[in-house]
Amino acid sequence: MRYQSQKLAREYFWAALPLFFLQVVFGILASIKYVWGFDPLLNSIPFNVARTIHLNLLVFWLLLALMGATYYMVADEIQTEIYSIRLARIQLGILLASGVAAILGYFFQWSFGMPFLEQPTLIKVVIVVGALIFLYNIAMTMFRNHHQLTGTTATLLGGMVMLAVMFLFGIPFMPNLSTQYYFWWWVIHLWVEGAWELIAAALVAWALIKLTGVSRRRVEGWVFAEVVLVLLTGIIGTGHHYYWIGTPHYWLWWGAIFSAAEPLPIMLMLVDAVRSLLKARTLATVNTMALAWLGASAFVHFMGAGVWGFGQTLPQINRWTHGTQITASHGHFAFWGAYGMLAIALMYAILPEISGRKQRNGAEGLSFSAFVCLNLSMIFMVMALLIAGIVQVYLQRVMGLDFLEVQNQLRLWLAVRLVAGGVFTVGAVLLLGDLYRLARPLPAAGSA
Amino acid sequence: MTTSRSILSVLTIISAVVFLGMTIDTLRKLPAQTHSDQISAQVVEGKRLWQHYDCNDCHTILGIGGYYAPDVTKSYTVRGDAWLRQFLKDPAAMYPTGRQMPNFHLTDAQVAPLLAYLKWVSEVDTNGWPPAPKGVARQEPAGHAIFLAQHCNTCHAIQGSGGTLAPDLTHEGSRHDQAWILDQLNDPRSHKADSIMPSFAQLPGTEKDELAEYLVSLK
Repeated sequence: MRYQSQKLAREYFWAALPLFFLQVVFGILASIKYVWGFDPLLNSIPFNVARTIHLNLLVFWLLLALMGATYYMVADEIQTEIYSIRLARIQLGILLASGVAAILGYFFQWSFGMPFLEQPTLIKVVIVVGALIFLYNIAMTMFRNHHQLTGTTATLLGGMVMLAVMFLFGIPFMPNLSTQYYFWWWVIHLWVEGAWELIAAALVAWALIKLTGVSRRRVEGWVFAEVVLVLLTGIIGTGHHYYWIGTPHYWLWWGAIFSAAEPLPIMLMLVDAVRSLLKARTLATVNTMALAWLGASAFVHFMGAGVWGFGQTLPQINRWTHGTQITASHGHFAFWGAYGMLAIALMYAILPEISGRKQRNGAEGLSFSAFVCLNLSMIFMVMALLIAGIVQVYLQRVMGLDFLEVQNQLRLWLAVRLVAGGVFTVGAVLLLGDLYRLARPLPAAGSA
Repeated sequence: MTTSRSILSVLTIISAVVFLGMTIDTLRKLPAQTHSDQISAQVVEGKRLWQHYDCNDCHTILGIGGYYAPDVTKSYTVRGDAWLRQFLKDPAAMYPTGRQMPNFHLTDAQVAPLLAYLKWVSEVDTNGWPPAPKGVARQEPAGHAIFLAQHCNTCHAIQGSGGTLAPDLTHEGSRHDQAWILDQLNDPRSHKADSIMPSFAQLPGTEKDELAEYLVSLK
């Protein structure tokens, strides 16, 4: 770490990590309701409130973690202090306050009522203010030393601008549900399969250059190809959400063809990561955990978003699977691989730099346990949801059994998901403990 | 390298422009496909209530949302006005056991717009989604469809399929005659003062008769 303002990353991570843990807690609560017919919290925390908080915290902690990593990365790339530490802290305060207000409001039915975008309009406006402060701060930092602007940082800024612009389409109330959902997907799809992919590609490129010693020229060449392919396939690929929502039939063709190509850039990212990781073997000191999370993220991103997504993207299949637990399986796998694991990798890369710790410090047991616990349990969760989804499609969609009768048949697999969720919670605790440990400076030699 | 970069960049820009063009075309065609002339003030009010109560984080609509509760895209056609009205006013009366929907204590002035909204959604042209089920295991009498549509199987089982809260109906025809069953449907408390079974008096007479005939046939 060369610049004092890079310590901002740690503050953002500290805000993000408890929210990650809370997200897991509300996920457990929601999954208990799936398994246990009797719901003592029906009138205090009904399923929709638990799910809303689970989803909001997901977006929230990921954004905070990626923003924190961005502050660190931009200072490093542009080789200057962040334009304003004060603004960055005000931004964090605004985002945290709006997030807490939104979550408390959900307990009192203060909701916009569109999935993921349940924040009431007033809170959305405050979030936009927070995002604008962030963009301003990052742009001014880049402007300060603009001859250092790299392809990676430009991609990052592009992703951040796209993220903010797309969010605006989720704000208005539209009387026609089909129109509302048409533009809702501009936020949801063009975030996760557009803006966030750009941000992730840039952060991964930076981390690979930092951690593996591969040349910037090579990595940035790959990033360009990845980013262009993400946009080329992903923009019209939005059409795979326009099959059944009251939009014209031609989307079945356009959505299918373009979204079927969406795994291509993700595969490029995987190949790119593996090649760079192999190169790291020649280094004298290696940040093992950061690289493990980075490599695993590339793989699970490909499986969860690429393979699981491709599996139901064609309309002939999607017609049967749309709106079932298969989508839940895909959602968990893709978000975890593409963004959750990446955020964790970046924390493992950045926190020891800020605390000045050596990367090999004799406590890999804890790091390794967290890694295994979280990832194995996620795989069990995703497989249980996939099996539940396949059974659901067969019984409900093909055979025509009633929804709730089918849900009873799924109970075994939903219980497996719950148990895996319990293990995941343990993993989250281990992870928080491990990252807390890494964020503190090593005790002076001999003091132990 | 530079040439291929330029080609890729141009293709990406073209794809964004094509997407915007398709968006304009979609917005032009959407009113006809969604019968937007049917979106009355009451339908809009129904959508507001649907969002206010955050229904979409349990239910899916057009297949999007929470997967915890049934998709409501075709609820209005499948369940009908009377069933939905009774259910929205008191969900536990229709589903006394198992997975529950909270009672939002909706007033008649709220139920009416919600029903108008669900009616409008059920008429949206969704390119054939959800698909009609392919496999009906065996030919069932008409009364069986009513038995399922009215969710009798939430509490009653027939041949092992259904709930256990209320009596098994596998041999209902050996125990009660058609008149008894019709009385039970109209007023469940006529036979048992503390019965928690909801009344099905609002069902059209022909449906009640078909249901009773079917149950009597179960010897």
